Amino acid sequence: MSSENNWRVIRLAEFERPDAPASTRVQQLFQHIRNLFPKADESTDDEEQSDFPGYREFDLKPGADALDAAFDEWRNDSEPGIKFLISPPFSGTAAIAREWAQRHNWKQLTPPAEEQLSSVDIDSWWQAQSTKQWLIDDLANYWQRRTDGMAFVRALLPKLMRGELGQGLVVCDSWSFAFLQRAWPVHLPNVYCFAAAEEALLRQVGIQADDKKLKALAARALGNVGLALALWAVEQDEEHGLPSMPPDCGDETAFVLYTLLLHMGLSGETLQRLLPTVAADQLDVQLLQLQQARLVQYDDNQWHVTVYGYLAVRDFLKSRGFYVDAF
Amino acid sequence: METDKIIGLFKTVTSDAVIEIAVVIAVSVGIIWLSQRLFPWLAEHLHGKQRLFVLAMIPTLRVVVFVLATIWIVPMVIETTMQNMIAILGAAGLAIGFAMKDYVSSLIAGIVAVYELPYRPGDWIEVDGTYGEVKHIGMRAVELVTPDDTVVFVPHLKLWDGLIHNANNGGPSLMCVTSFYLAADHDAHQVKQLLEDVALTSPYVQLKQPITVVISEQPWGTHYRLKAYPIDPRQQFQFMTDLTARGKACLRAINVKFANLSPEHAVPVTP
Repeated sequence: MSSENNWRVIRLAEFERPDAPASTRVQQLFQHIRNLFPKADESTDDEEQSDFPGYREFDLKPGADALDAAFDEWRNDSEPGIKFLISPPFSGTAAIAREWAQRHNWKQLTPPAEEQLSSVDIDSWWQAQSTKQWLIDDLANYWQRRTDGMAFVRALLPKLMRGELGQGLVVCDSWSFAFLQRAWPVHLPNVYCFAAAEEALLRQVGIQADDKKLKALAARALGNVGLALALWAVEQDEEHGLPSMPPDCGDETAFVLYTLLLHMGLSGETLQRLLPTVAADQLDVQLLQLQQARLVQYDDNQWHVTVYGYLAVRDFLKSRGFYVDAF
Repeated sequence: METDKIIGLFKTVTSDAVIEIAVVIAVSVGIIWLSQRLFPWLAEHLHGKQRLFVLAMIPTLRVVVFVLATIWIVPMVIETTMQNMIAILGAAGLAIGFAMKDYVSSLIAGIVAVYELPYRPGDWIEVDGTYGEVKHIGMRAVELVTPDDTVVFVPHLKLWDGLIHNANNGGPSLMCVTSFYLAADHDAHQVKQLLEDVALTSPYVQLKQPITVVISEQPWGTHYRLKAYPIDPRQQFQFMTDLTARGKACLRAINVKFANLSPEHAVPVTP
């Protein structure tokens, strides 16, 4: 087994998905058609089938080493300013960044409370945790998609870019980043991400298969390590297939899924606040229907899109013309 | 003698030819019938460009099938010499000129509509003050369904001299303009920013398209027009409702007063 580190940090503009072999393209097309014409009996609710195989977490150190290789010079210079690290859902980028920050004793900043999001008073938030070098591990917690939920991040970003708050690494979820670029249309410099996972990296994180299978897996997972591990776990488990969209999915279903992805999970109350156009009882119906279809799950008082349902959800939103992430 | 001349235009039609003609007509009608059911069903499962593309194939396919069937059948019935064709076209022209001018004009306009594409199924158009979604393009008329679920048949011949307003022109982009009427005394920049955010945070908004606010001062106050695009043209009314409801709530929260229009200052509101 090679000891070479296959994690690489690249500029976001350089990101390319792994090439999909013809068989994978056919499989993706089949999945797309399945999503277009969902069958009522596909959303099983048997107790026995309720648990998906747990997918193993991977070693974060090689990823943190790649961040070292990319950012060491910048970190040692200690010049005020920021770098963005864009994180596709379930890719583990935020966890790697936390590992890296811990390694260098960078403080992890606490996001503002929900009531602070409508304020432009950055100083009171900052003074409570002021430090020279820091990590924001999920920028999605610094704003909400409501008219008074974007003031904080709009005031924060210019300060960060001017270096007024010292030196920091900002991890931003890819869906959140796509929206923020629209809400705050300033060209952001220093935007990085991890290169798409290919065969060697999948092998490095512990997936053992031949090159052909790994290449197909990398393409299906859109080069996302976490997704690849989840898909691999499902592939190894004969009892489960990937979840697909339930029948009768409408605009409201799409709004719920898009909002959950935009914020990487939300409580029911916050979701209702962000979607006043969906009545509370309808929202409950949508969430329960999606939960039964294994597309969302309820953990720690928050609703999330599941790793197993992510591909179906992304395909569903994309086919309906939603503004999807760049990955 | 005249009767002999007319009969001379036509071939002797054998029973085989009759069967062949019947089969061609049956197959053509079958294909058109099937396309008019299959494509709308398929389109219901699609969204955006894909949906509009599938819908636009229905009239195109019908014209192609019609032309092919005509090319197949006519030589089986008529001696296709130059002399005969001139005689037949002349007779047909006379009949059309006197009796069926509007009908044939509509049929020809229907063919032109397939080529020029002033409207396609799925488009939102306005003809003579009627606004609605094109549900079906027939040989003679286009079928609109208004927002109040009324079906309106508009003959294609409107194409020759009428104004046809197409709001999305075959694409999924349809601009919605939502008006807000405010009393004049307020911070216009604050309101403009707020209304842009109202659109930006609407779940219906198409984020790939621009959001703009146009302000105009009026004798009764200030007229704001919030221009944005829904993700799907079919969501336009829910989108405008969402913008209006949330926009009003946000304006009330910053204590902006709404204008009270006196009847003489009332402005016509376009959809």
